[in-house]
Amino acid sequence: MTIFDTVLADLNERHRDEVMAAFAALEHGREPVAEAQLLALRDATVRRDLQRLLFRMGRTLVRVGSTHWTSGFRDDVTAQLAAEGATAQSRVDRAVLVLVLIHSVAIPRSQGLIGGDSWTSGHPTPVDELTRYTQLPRGEIRPALQRLRAAGLVQIAPARGRAAPTDGPAYLPGPALHRLTKPARERLEHELILAAAPDSPLAAAIRARRPAAAAAVATPTRTSTTERNEDT
Amino acid sequence: MTTDDDTTLWWARYRAAGPQRVAPASAYPAGMTRLVEPDASAVWLLPALPDNARPDVLDELGLAGVAVDQPNDTARVLAACLRCCWTEPSGPVWPAAPAPYDQVVAVFRAVTGNRDERALHAAAMGAARRLAGAGWVLFDEDARVVRLGPRVASWSAAELSTLRELWRSMPAPEREA
Repeated sequence: MTIFDTVLADLNERHRDEVMAAFAALEHGREPVAEAQLLALRDATVRRDLQRLLFRMGRTLVRVGSTHWTSGFRDDVTAQLAAEGATAQSRVDRAVLVLVLIHSVAIPRSQGLIGGDSWTSGHPTPVDELTRYTQLPRGEIRPALQRLRAAGLVQIAPARGRAAPTDGPAYLPGPALHRLTKPARERLEHELILAAAPDSPLAAAIRARRPAAAAAVATPTRTSTTERNEDT
Repeated sequence: MTTDDDTTLWWARYRAAGPQRVAPASAYPAGMTRLVEPDASAVWLLPALPDNARPDVLDELGLAGVAVDQPNDTARVLAACLRCCWTEPSGPVWPAAPAPYDQVVAVFRAVTGNRDERALHAAAMGAARRLAGAGWVLFDEDARVVRLGPRVASWSAAELSTLRELWRSMPAPEREA
């Protein structure tokens, strides 16, 4: 019995087809999908079956804005994969991604230019900015950007609307960042604060909250690994 | 961990890091295809998706898939790898045979026509690395040898018959004596 057979056995044929189509759209698609486009996203009952299927594969539904959906890793599975070191991105790739996130999201957010807790943004990070101030070997940045682009973690910023056409290429966070769950978005923000301002009161507050959180991860209760999440 | 949790983790590992290479005797979860290396030294695990949950569903829904850099050259280099490595196209596509990288470049040159030699090599190398990064080919850059990657085993029977026609329409690689 495959996961699909087990989870979808009790559904009628039409609902099964709807769940499969939505599964393919969320898991293989580049961008979040509009709720209006698929019954399995629109209808709360069918959506619960989609969530059950994703859950068995270590994934979960993630709501984007108020009208779109995508899928991402379950937080408990993320913790497990991270502990195993099962990640596709090298240290250099991750460092370059963090630089793009700082320039495109963290700085504009601290200036009040973008709200919300999303890690996507319309504020481009010029490649020049990445190469000029970084401590990373210059020759490694371009191939890292290529790999991050292939993973959907960064994307080339459209040339229109940028300050000057001679600026050279610039990057934005990629569509894969939509796949972060709410706790994952928060973890990323906390890690950046801890790295950028370890002596700040904010960092102290985050550290103070950590031991309890770490204990909760170590002994997951039945409720923390439920097939529901706050979005569904 | 229960068996269910194990299966969940295998699917998640595949999603995070591509096809998983494990020792031949390892337990493997139900619903995954097991691809044995030609020398039986290892096994690749690849999830089997039902027909209506595969990436081609995106076309029917009019949704965009993952963006690929230089999609045309990348597809041509994959076709060249297929032409060189799939020595028996009447048979299965995995594991196929290793081929010298230069042979792949020669077929790529033959299908792309007139191009500056330096640009041609840069395009071929970029595409080969991209394909290797995604598991479509296995590329040993030091030995300059290319093989088909485990992901090719996910092609359906219908896709393989289209690829067989493509294979026949492509220029044959020059085999070494």
